[in-house]
Amino acid sequence: MLDGLLDGYTRSILIFTGIHIIAAYSFYVPFKTGQVSLGQAGFMAVGAYAAGILTVKFGLPFPVGLLVGGLVTAVIGVCVGFPALRIKGIYLLLLTLAFAEIVQVVILTWEYTGGAQGFQGIPFNKYTLEYVYVIVVLLIIFFARLERSSLGRAMDSIHEDEAAAEVMGIDVVRVKLLAFGLGAFIAGLAGVLFAHHTTYVDQVSFSILLGIEILMFAVVGGCTTYWGPAVGAAVLTLLPELLRTLRDFLELVPLSWTDFFPMNRIYDFMYEFLDFENEKRLIVYGVILILMMIVRPQGLITRDTLRPLQFLQQRTGHV
Amino acid sequence: MIYQQLINGLMLGASYSLVAIGYTLIFGVLGLLYFAHGEVFMVGAFVGLYLVIHAGANIYMALLGATIATACLGVFAVFAAVRPVSKDYPLAPLISTIGLTIVLQNIATYIFGGQTVAFPETIESILFHFGPVTISSVQIFTLAVAIVLMVLLWLFIENTKMGRAIRATAENHETAALLGVNVNRVVLVTFILASAIAGIAGVLDGVKNSAISPFMGLQVAIKGLVVMLLGGLGNVRGAMVAGILLGMIEILTAAYLGSSMRDFFTFAILILILLYRPTGLFGTRTIEER
Repeated sequence: MLDGLLDGYTRSILIFTGIHIIAAYSFYVPFKTGQVSLGQAGFMAVGAYAAGILTVKFGLPFPVGLLVGGLVTAVIGVCVGFPALRIKGIYLLLLTLAFAEIVQVVILTWEYTGGAQGFQGIPFNKYTLEYVYVIVVLLIIFFARLERSSLGRAMDSIHEDEAAAEVMGIDVVRVKLLAFGLGAFIAGLAGVLFAHHTTYVDQVSFSILLGIEILMFAVVGGCTTYWGPAVGAAVLTLLPELLRTLRDFLELVPLSWTDFFPMNRIYDFMYEFLDFENEKRLIVYGVILILMMIVRPQGLITRDTLRPLQFLQQRTGHV
Repeated sequence: MIYQQLINGLMLGASYSLVAIGYTLIFGVLGLLYFAHGEVFMVGAFVGLYLVIHAGANIYMALLGATIATACLGVFAVFAAVRPVSKDYPLAPLISTIGLTIVLQNIATYIFGGQTVAFPETIESILFHFGPVTISSVQIFTLAVAIVLMVLLWLFIENTKMGRAIRATAENHETAALLGVNVNRVVLVTFILASAIAGIAGVLDGVKNSAISPFMGLQVAIKGLVVMLLGGLGNVRGAMVAGILLGMIEILTAAYLGSSMRDFFTFAILILILLYRPTGLFGTRTIEER
C-alpha cells in the first residue's frame, strides 16, 4: 500500500519504531498495576518462536501465527505472573530478568528451532508496516478506553496502594494477573512482528539489553499517561537516526559562508564533531538519556503536558 | 577432578564476590540498582591494559592505576548520574545509570574497537601441582589479591568511623542523617570504594583470562545482581560468601551438566531464592519494599 511512498531505509526505521512502541506498551500494562518488568524481551522471544514454529514448521499463514503467538505468550505471562504476585519492587525486577535469561538458555539449547544457529527461514511478511501501525492505533484506542474504565481505575489504585485497593473490594490477584498476561500478550505480538520482518531470530535478538531498552522507552516517555510509552519509544528509536543525519544538515550551509578564516575552522570542527556514524552516536545517546532523567525524571509526557490539549476533549463531550 | 573444579569455581567466585560487594554496598546505602557497575569493572580492565601496553607498567602499577581511575569514575558517576536525579521517581536513577552504562561501553568501543583484546602476560606463569590439583601462579595471585581486599574492606566497614556511618546509612537514611551522619559524603565514599574494588576485579579478570572486551560488563553486572540477591540485599559478608558459592555452582554445572546449563541453573536458583528466601541465603534483616 505504501510501497511507492517510502524507501527501504525509512520503511525499516518506521517498522522498528512501531515495534518498539508496541513493546513499550507491553511494559506499560503491568506497570499500571505497579509491576516493573525487565523481562518483556523474553516474552517477545516466546511470541516470535511460537509464531515462527507455526509459520515455518506447519506452514500456517501469518495472521494465525500472530494471534496464536500472542495467546501462547499470554499464557506464559500468566504463569510468570503467579509467582510475581508474591514479590514486588527490585525483587520482581530480578525475577523477570531471570525469566528472560532462562528464555535465552532455552532458545540456545532447543535444537528444534535451530539452537545456537538461530531460527532461520521465517517467512517475510510484506505488510509488517501496516500491521504494526494498525496494532499501535488499536492499542492507543484501547488504553484511552481503559483509562476511564473501572478496570483501568482498579489498576491505578493497585499501583497507588495495594492494601487500600484490596480493602475497597478490588480483586487484586485477578487484576494483577490480567495486567501481566495482557502485557505478555502485547509483547508477544511485538515479537511475532519482529520475527516476520527480519526473517531470522536468535538469542541475541531478544537479549537482556532489549528488555532494558523497553523499560527505558516507557520510563523516558513517562508512565503516568498512555501517551508516554509511545512517545518514549518513538523518541529513543528515532534519536540515533536523527543524530546520523545531523551532518547532512551541515552540508546544506552554502560554501561562501564558510570560505574565510574563523568560519572554515569552525565548520571543519563541526563536521568532524558531527561524525555520528560510529560509537560516538551512542555516546551522545547515553548522555541525552542521563540529561533527560535529570531534567524530567517523571518522563517526557505527563498529565500536565497534556492539559493544554484538554479543550479538544471537552468540545467533543468526553470529559 | 572435583577438587580442580572447586578451585576453578573459587577463582570465578572471587571475581563475582568483588563485583557483588560493590553492588550491595551501593544498594544498601542508596537503595539504587547501580546498573553501570559492570562497566566500571570493564573500565578497570581496560585502564590496566592501557597501562601495561602503553606505559610498560607492571601488574602492581596497573592495579594501582585502575584503582585510581575507577575511583574517579565513581565520583564522576555520583555527580553526573546519581545526585542530580530526583529520588522521588524510583526508576529515574536506574535509567540515568543505564545511560552511563551506554556512554562508558561506547567510549571503550570507540577507543579500543569492538573486538576482544588480548591482555598481555604480566605475571610469570608457574604451575604448582598439589596431588591431583594444578594451580598456576596467576590464579594464586588473583585469589590472594581478592581475599586481601575483602578482608580490608570488612575491617574498614566494621572498625572505622566511616564504616559505621555506611552501616548506619544502609540501615536507615533519615535516622542516620538525624544522628549527624553526612549522608552525601557516605554515598560518595561508598561509590569510591565500590568502584575501586570493581576496577581491581576487572584487572584481575584480564590477568586471569588474558582477554577482555568492551562488552564484558553486562554479563558481570547481571551475575553481580544474582550474587547480591543470594547474599541478601545490602549484606556485604553475604555477598562475599554467595559470590564464591555461585562461582562453584557454575563451574560444577558446566563441568558435569554441560556449559549451556550453567546460566539456566544460575537463574533457576535466583527464582527459587526470590520466591522462598527473598532476604538471601544468610537471612539478613528484611528490607522493606523499595
